Amino acid sequence: METLAITLLTLKVGLVSLAVSVVPGLGLAWILAKKRFRGRTLLQTLVNLPMVVPPVAVGLVLLLLLGRRGTVGGMLHRATGIDILFTWQAAALASAVMAFPLLVRAAQQAFAEVPDRIESVAASLGAGPFRVFRTVTLPLAARGVVYGLVLSFARGLGEFGATNLIAGSIPGRTETLALGIYGRVQRGDDTGALGLACVSVLLAFVATYLSELSLARAAAGRGAR
Amino acid sequence: MNPSGRYNQIDLRLTAGGFALAFEAEWDPPVCALFGPSGAGKSTILEIIAGVRAAGSARVVLDGRTVIDTGRGDVPPARVRRIGWVPQDASLFPHLTVRENVRYGLRRGGVDGETRLTAAIEVLEIGGLMDRPAGALSGGERQRAAVARAIGSGARVLLLDEPLASLDAPLRARVFPLFVRLRDEIGLPMIYVSHDPDEVMAIAPHVVVIAQGRCVASGPAKDVLGEAARDGIYDLHAAENRFEVRLVEARAAEGVAVVALDGGLRLQMHAAPLPERPVFTVALRAEEIILAAAPPGPVSAQNVVEGIVTDVRAVGGHALVTVDVGGERLAARVTRQSLDRLGLAAGARAWLVFKAGAVRAAGPTGRP
Repeated sequence: METLAITLLTLKVGLVSLAVSVVPGLGLAWILAKKRFRGRTLLQTLVNLPMVVPPVAVGLVLLLLLGRRGTVGGMLHRATGIDILFTWQAAALASAVMAFPLLVRAAQQAFAEVPDRIESVAASLGAGPFRVFRTVTLPLAARGVVYGLVLSFARGLGEFGATNLIAGSIPGRTETLALGIYGRVQRGDDTGALGLACVSVLLAFVATYLSELSLARAAAGRGAR
Repeated sequence: MNPSGRYNQIDLRLTAGGFALAFEAEWDPPVCALFGPSGAGKSTILEIIAGVRAAGSARVVLDGRTVIDTGRGDVPPARVRRIGWVPQDASLFPHLTVRENVRYGLRRGGVDGETRLTAAIEVLEIGGLMDRPAGALSGGERQRAAVARAIGSGARVLLLDEPLASLDAPLRARVFPLFVRLRDEIGLPMIYVSHDPDEVMAIAPHVVVIAQGRCVASGPAKDVLGEAARDGIYDLHAAENRFEVRLVEARAAEGVAVVALDGGLRLQMHAAPLPERPVFTVALRAEEIILAAAPPGPVSAQNVVEGIVTDVRAVGGHALVTVDVGGERLAARVTRQSLDRLGLAAGARAWLVFKAGAVRAAGPTGRP
């Protein structure tokens, strides 16, 4: 019963983190793939940063930002009285930040592979930038975008370092699979830890398998064209 | 500007990498062919007009309507220009059906676009393809669908970029007449890009010749094209002479026909196959002409004509020698070595020798 609750919470955290990443992630991926501007390399570097910085360090930055005395956390507290630290929403945020580079990179590559010419043709037929994106770029990049979404979702499920710091590991509230495994090992409950680890592996396997499947279909689709 | 308002002008400058475009041309007829070798800048010009590539400076007037005028800051985005641009690869949307493709621009094209689209689908004979995925079409079908799509978007001018370039000869011969019919029945002004003189001759009354980013000639097809081809504008090795000729007599028994040029010069060519019209175009490749610096005496070739050298142009190991024969200019291609041996220069007397078989019927009906 406890395992099920932890799994469901983990899935909830993963899905919410994915939901908040989609729009900014795809937007940023599109800009990086299709636009040439000053500071593009800098932006690209910033986007990639969470992938190479220690997760705990990212967690620390978030902790300072979101705490009651932090810029964002302080404003939120004064405006609504809500504290985001040590809630499942904080866990979702940590997952989102850590998985963001994977989403952007995969989508960016998929968008870049859509020929500029075909988008130009759509524009010359009267379509505005958003219609071109929605009817041409996105459908043609769909497989790669799905790959990025699933991969970043899977990465978010396993987030530990940053999550541990800003969400804690409160059983029933913020204890996700990764946190639960760590906690059980600390307490000497190896059997419980192994059970949660099995669930993690299963979830990761399914998600990664689905993402590879969508890429394989994309490759096959391109071959058919 | 002429009274009908159907005035066309292109004036473009662009420097990108090692390529410089400085192109100026004006013409009146609604249908015009842009003719020149690959790499001359034809596609770039179309892209600038369509609004998908920026130019250093541009002033484009098509069918009396100003499309771009950078001098006055008038550079509308592609989506409002109503230019029916069809790139060489057609660029259909591969994830949509043919029907979804051709109807893509109707949002802007409106009722008028839909009327024209219906007509275009019929003329281009693509009605049976509507439910097919665009990715499953053949080269010729793709081009026709892309043209219909452009027409449906309410385009006021069509820009066709070598629509037949990717097709093999038999398919070209089948698809090309559809484009000619389209030109006549849809009634849209058109710029037709091609590097095939036969195609250009058949589709456009007016030809603009481009080489290395510059307009080198502009005028009626039959004048300009012959000149461009003769001068090896697109390739010295492909240089050929083109004349409009009248059939004088066909000697069936000998398998030879005698044809006459406007200036009176008579040539012999093979009688079969001959176009069925009394006046047609013949082509004679510059490399098939033998040049002599003295009267050649009896030879087996049927055509021996005498003239004065007006121009010698050497490129690489070859030279193109232009000879004036009673007001008609013919170009012969010889090696530099032969040129030096003959000592031919402008003003010298020369004899041109070529077989009847070297003179072939060209143009729309003479296609292989």
